[in-house]
Amino acid sequence: MPSGMTVFFQAVLSGVLIGGIYALIGIGMSIIFGVMRIINFAHGDILMLGMYLSYYLFALAGIDPFVSVLIIIPIMFAFGALLQKVFINRMLDALPQNQLLLTIGLGLIMSNAMMLAFTSDYKILTTSYSSASVTLAGISISEPLAISFLITAGITALLYWFLTRTDTGQAIRATAQDAQAAQLMGINVKRMGMIAFGIGGALAATAGALISPTYYIYPQVGSAFTLKAFVITVMGGMGSVVGATIGGIIIGVTESVSSVCISSGWKDVVVFAVFLLVLLFKPAGLMGKSRM
Amino acid sequence: MGSRLSNIILLLTLAALFFFPRFVESPYAFHIMILLFLSTIVGTSWNIIGGYTGQYSIGHAAYFGTGAYVTMVLMKDKQIPPWLGVWAGVALVIIIALVIGSICFRLRGPYFVLASIAVAEIMRLSAMNLKELTNGAEGILATELPAFRIGGRVITDFVSKTPFYYISLVLAVVTIVVAFLVLHSKLGYCFQAIREDQDAAHALGINPTFYKNAALVISAIFTGIAGGFYAIYVGFVDPATVMSLDISVQIVLVCIIGGIGTIYGPLIGSILIVPITEALRSNLIAEAIFKTGMVSQESHFGSFLKENLAHAHALIYGILVVLVILFMPEGVVGFQRKLWSKWNKGLG
Amino acid sequence: MAILELNHVSKSFGGLAANSDVSFRVEEGAIMGLIGPNGAGKTTLFNCITGYYSPTRGEIVFRGHRINGLQPDKVCKLGMVRTWQKVRPLTKLSVLENVMIGALCRTNSVKAARELAARQLELVKMENRADFLAGGLPIGERKKLEMARVLATDPQLLLLDEVMGGLNPTESDDIIQLILAIKERGITQVVIEHDMKAIMRVSDRVVVLNSGEKLAEGTPVDVVNNQLVIDAYLGKAISDGTV
Repeated sequence: MPSGMTVFFQAVLSGVLIGGIYALIGIGMSIIFGVMRIINFAHGDILMLGMYLSYYLFALAGIDPFVSVLIIIPIMFAFGALLQKVFINRMLDALPQNQLLLTIGLGLIMSNAMMLAFTSDYKILTTSYSSASVTLAGISISEPLAISFLITAGITALLYWFLTRTDTGQAIRATAQDAQAAQLMGINVKRMGMIAFGIGGALAATAGALISPTYYIYPQVGSAFTLKAFVITVMGGMGSVVGATIGGIIIGVTESVSSVCISSGWKDVVVFAVFLLVLLFKPAGLMGKSRM
Repeated sequence: MGSRLSNIILLLTLAALFFFPRFVESPYAFHIMILLFLSTIVGTSWNIIGGYTGQYSIGHAAYFGTGAYVTMVLMKDKQIPPWLGVWAGVALVIIIALVIGSICFRLRGPYFVLASIAVAEIMRLSAMNLKELTNGAEGILATELPAFRIGGRVITDFVSKTPFYYISLVLAVVTIVVAFLVLHSKLGYCFQAIREDQDAAHALGINPTFYKNAALVISAIFTGIAGGFYAIYVGFVDPATVMSLDISVQIVLVCIIGGIGTIYGPLIGSILIVPITEALRSNLIAEAIFKTGMVSQESHFGSFLKENLAHAHALIYGILVVLVILFMPEGVVGFQRKLWSKWNKGLG
Repeated sequence: MAILELNHVSKSFGGLAANSDVSFRVEEGAIMGLIGPNGAGKTTLFNCITGYYSPTRGEIVFRGHRINGLQPDKVCKLGMVRTWQKVRPLTKLSVLENVMIGALCRTNSVKAARELAARQLELVKMENRADFLAGGLPIGERKKLEMARVLATDPQLLLLDEVMGGLNPTESDDIIQLILAIKERGITQVVIEHDMKAIMRVSDRVVVLNSGEKLAEGTPVDVVNNQLVIDAYLGKAISDGTV
């Protein structure tokens, strides 16, 4: 294969892999928006908490980040549910702009509390395979990315099963479609909100754990991911899990290819420009309808 | 408050502010006042598009940064004095506001918010990448400011902080006066109608596109002027300081805490936030704690405080915002008004 | 002279035809009643007429000018204004300020608007509520406020969408008096209503919509005795004489 093409395919492939993780972040935000119609500006900061959790579990107890996901999911599910119960729940009837500002405030508290506690020094989590790569058909793939992708795929499949096959999952989807009708049908809408935030939090933190072997860990790392999560959620159709998955991969690939073709400085501009175009011309997202 | 009483208080406060430099020497006190005035300017101008018209832009750093960069670049590269250069900044800011408006005002509510963030981030990243224009992430350091002359006589050569104090004070007063005039004019009524119910306003003869853009342009102009002032006062601009999401968020927070949609809300919000955050940032509070002897500088906790209290200001923003939004969504001014009307009802 | 003409107006959303081939004329100074079951397309028609929607087909002619697709604010400035089925007060503004917004359609002076607004409030007998926050008003006063607000725009044609919905008999009567007073001022009105007594009292002519199409048109008496109308909408109550 000519080397230009190899570079391109490599970019596409790693874009897909990182896109899977982006999808996880986007799905979490999509579920929160779908059920509660709230844009969670603190989403990236929850991801950051997941990164730190993963770091300390590794540094203090030697637990591999990918294994720590099993611990992080329940902890951060509880954290998300708690956030909803204590703060968001009081704001259900407020202006959407005010709800957004509330989550901004919560995000500021999270990131700056972490900065006070752990300083803004970059932390690096290096495992034995942090820089290892696997070669597939002449294309080199980062090993941790590949494993993350597999785990992400597994989690997404599990989530899909949960939403379509379990009672609670279907109750969540009903609430997302029409909260009033769901309430009339006897669904505890408040509890659905807590679960939605719990799932969203767990997914964001899991994404954090999955990228912790390959990204710098510092308290402010969240905001870049929050912005990406918006883009993904809007592209996929606010509230659509399938859409967020596809959106995540598209963003991952766009970023990766832009980084190679244009320059890494402009890749975020491309992402934001795509975001604006989607907001303006296909506000219901690429999937067309708000549907989980 | 009785109208006459509040007018007297207003005049007394203004007089006190004008005579402040005669009685105070500490450059640090000046610095805090200047930052306070700056915060008031950007907060009051944001309020025109955010509080009155209901369009919560979290991308105002775009205008602040543009004003800052244009003023700085013209001064450094073309030796154009900043009191002239800032108007070029204003012209560019108006164009940018109209462009941003044409993109973002098609969207409503939270979608508008997200679009405003995206646009501001595109501008910040562009400023980082267009190195020939802006010197990229390194930023631009100011040369010495030219002396300000009128008819050959040097009025000031900007050595002390006093001229900056008066300029920012005047700008703040002007911004508040403009906000007041706008609020009580046809523009102000149309802005508020759009905020309350855009479609109903549309059917009553109000063109939402025109008025939203008008509000944004007015707001952008004063934010841009503030940016230009900031550039020459601080003497350094870079994308991370003048075009960041942080600045956009801070501007909104000051208004939320003080009272969105009120004239004095941003001023009150600034008074509440700026002195504390500056005191934190400059370690004044840490020093004060050490002086009381409760905590020793050498101790573990002490050194932790010394290192990290400086960064706690954003944490305070976050806590304040959460508290205000949950319990006082009208901000301090709105809350005080509610209390006042309850009091009056009780008495009468 | 016909102040408003609808010629074969149709409005579809995707595959759904909300209005099909609706045509009628409204004489200047008259009151036209617009009735029909829920979902017949009455409000959609209002939305098309006032520029909120653009009709898929057909023409809307106001005072001799084709106004298809004209923006709502321009339609208002031309002299046609509407009230909303679900009232839309500007809640954080006072009653007087709400009406001032309407008045500002015609003047740039806040002072003039305030005077104009005060006079409209007197017309609807709400002058004592001038400084009250619109958000705190009960439904009857909200409806009157909305009428004062549209009257302040100095309209030639007023479209009233179920302005009596949710009101008690006294409040409804007030509104009827108001409608008749508005007629005396020479303002043309098109009134969507379910209250048949009111329709009979105020209308010069009535148009009946059903499933998006015009079912019948005529004087109130003609329409009420029209078998098609009875079958589709009015039922036995009219012929019983209970309505």
